[in-house]
Amino acid sequence: MTKGPAKKIEDITKGFAKHNYICSEQISSAVYLASELEKPILVEGPPGVGKTELANTAALYFKKDLLRLQCYEGLDETKALYEWRYGKQLLYTQILKEQMQEVLKGAKGLKDSLDRLMEFEDIFFSESFLEARPLLKALTSNKGSVLLIDEVDKSDEEFEALLLEILSEFQVSIPELGVKKAKIKPLVFLTSNNSREISDALKRRCLHLYIPFPDAKLERKIIRARVPEISKNLQVQLVNFVQGLRSLDLKKLPAISETIDWAKTLILLNAKELSEDLAKETLNVLLKHQQDIEVVQKEVPRLVMAADG
Amino acid sequence: MDRVLTDFVKTLRNANIQVSPAETLDAMEVIEKIGYDNRELLKNTLSFTLPKTLEEKEKFDSCFEDFFNVQPLQKKGLFQTREPSQLSGQVNSDLAHQLLEDNQADIQLSISKAAEKAEIREIKYFTQRAVFSRRILDIMGVGSLEEELSHLGQLNENELPSDLEQQLRNQLTQLRERVSDYVQQQFLLYGDVSGERLREQVFKTMNMGQIDRSYLHEVHSLVRKMAKKLSNLHSRRKKNFRRGKLDIRKTIRDNWVNESILFNLRWSYKKIDKPKILVICDVSGSVGAYARFMLMFIFSLTEVVSKIRAFVFSSYLGEVTDEFKSSQLEEAIESALSKYGGGSTDYAHSFSDFLSLCLDDLDKKTTVIILGDARNNFGPDKAFLLKSVYERSKQVYWLNPEGKFRWNTGDSIMNTYSAYCTKVFECGTLEQLERVIYKLLKTAA
Repeated sequence: MTKGPAKKIEDITKGFAKHNYICSEQISSAVYLASELEKPILVEGPPGVGKTELANTAALYFKKDLLRLQCYEGLDETKALYEWRYGKQLLYTQILKEQMQEVLKGAKGLKDSLDRLMEFEDIFFSESFLEARPLLKALTSNKGSVLLIDEVDKSDEEFEALLLEILSEFQVSIPELGVKKAKIKPLVFLTSNNSREISDALKRRCLHLYIPFPDAKLERKIIRARVPEISKNLQVQLVNFVQGLRSLDLKKLPAISETIDWAKTLILLNAKELSEDLAKETLNVLLKHQQDIEVVQKEVPRLVMAADG
Repeated sequence: MDRVLTDFVKTLRNANIQVSPAETLDAMEVIEKIGYDNRELLKNTLSFTLPKTLEEKEKFDSCFEDFFNVQPLQKKGLFQTREPSQLSGQVNSDLAHQLLEDNQADIQLSISKAAEKAEIREIKYFTQRAVFSRRILDIMGVGSLEEELSHLGQLNENELPSDLEQQLRNQLTQLRERVSDYVQQQFLLYGDVSGERLREQVFKTMNMGQIDRSYLHEVHSLVRKMAKKLSNLHSRRKKNFRRGKLDIRKTIRDNWVNESILFNLRWSYKKIDKPKILVICDVSGSVGAYARFMLMFIFSLTEVVSKIRAFVFSSYLGEVTDEFKSSQLEEAIESALSKYGGGSTDYAHSFSDFLSLCLDDLDKKTTVIILGDARNNFGPDKAFLLKSVYERSKQVYWLNPEGKFRWNTGDSIMNTYSAYCTKVFECGTLEQLERVIYKLLKTAA
């Protein structure tokens, strides 16, 4: 009997939890849909809410290889898609020089030698001289894969255009070899920090998932999964404190990853509960800007009080 | 089934969420997978396919709640005590039967059916609500009911209205209310609720001086939209320029590894500079309103412009760049207008102020934009000052908010100044402004 979608989504939530990734129902429905409809997911959200981690966990959950492509300005198809191994091609031509002469022995005139050479033309532009980069690897993988295209907003617009063919048809065209189609369509995650608006054409081809900062309940769950040795009391205080921080006007709000780091720090310091001094001393784990730290220093007593309540 | 989805998409578009047909198809695929049963799941999954930015997601949430909540209003009739079947024998029209039976679900159903016939989906404007209510009531057969009522009234002319008549009249009033509620609801879903598109169109073509201050906020968001469109266009165009000449030096160096056989060609990219813009705005009474929009527009372009300095003047000139960069745009405009505005215009003095402030900043990448009506109150023009600005900068644009036919009339000395401008534009509406700035970005770099 086939399971209903609601059940399958629940399975994903549970499966992800086993890999220590606690996700909201939204996230697991997105993963479910992506795998059912074979569509890429564009994940947006503030830094540190687990966008990249989502792809990692999905790879573990579906037991597939993770191929990761980190985007940056100037990234082009030779780094992302494929490249010919020029060095190898050259080396082989050198080695094969003598063979060449044998092949060409007895050929009369240019035309004749050229005709003979023509027979070998494709050797140097065959699979064995092709260096597959992450995108091509993801398409040609035999057991399917999870492809993570990280921070796609950092890449140029030209690169986005290149992605269009791959993401909608799951194929690439290599002039020398023809069109390569995916044997098993990979599960694709694109992440973006919104440093630049992604083009509509790309957005249109993706499911769009926005991961916000988690609410207190979800965050506590996450902390429990990631830092199991933390005491219940401290964990509640800590999450309340961070939630309070997020309501302030800061340059960079602390995300889940910062909360986790902070929890680990407090464990190292052997803290049993959150005190003002402790919070002040360890603020630099949570906040990454001096200005923010200065702002928060003043607020610490109030926040600690609130966290207790 | 599909009708529901397309209606929903229409609602979304109305709320200014861009949904392409392909996305609608995606959504359809999604619904095929998960069905309409699980509301939360439906909402989640549709939110992946239809809205594609954070703002759109927020709008989507409220639209979803509105759309999939159109439930019959559970208003109970006031007169529930009577046994309906007795009375319903005494009336003829179908509607009267239905009303007397007082079955809420049935009535709601026939309202929706009638609405469908009345093509309620076509409702666009606020003012059409009454028309549609009437149309729906007509289709439901209110006409014959009213006839019957007046007939009943005539039967017992001198006595108090009978129970039957009383009850029917009550029910009819309730029905009218319900229909008008229903139409209101449908209007919110299908109509151009905020009239946004219409208004945008009007703002674009309206003379900027005439736009009422109470609309400033909306105009600002419109300006931002227009500016964003321009910057997208421009940044895209910039990229297209990116094929330069063959860079021999780099190519040779990079190809040492290939025994100097030139496999990897290197190109020297021609880097397109972003323009540097200096804006000089007349903020005296006559032109102040235009300066506001001009500054709004320019400062919304920061993405594609490397450096902006803004100056405002009436009788003397001052720089307001920092105010615009630090504080909110609207506040900055207000303070600039109150600080420098109001005096009588003195172009000569203001130009000399300008030159002493930023002569050094004028170079071959600089575009100078002057916004003013060139009405100098019959003072000296000192056009040589403008000439030196013109000679040092890449280009000087003069934007005149007055219509061309008024130039050079009265104290306007447009002709004198236009000799030292690269181009002169008439620029009274936002649309004209947009066109000018588009030209500027095209030529400025």
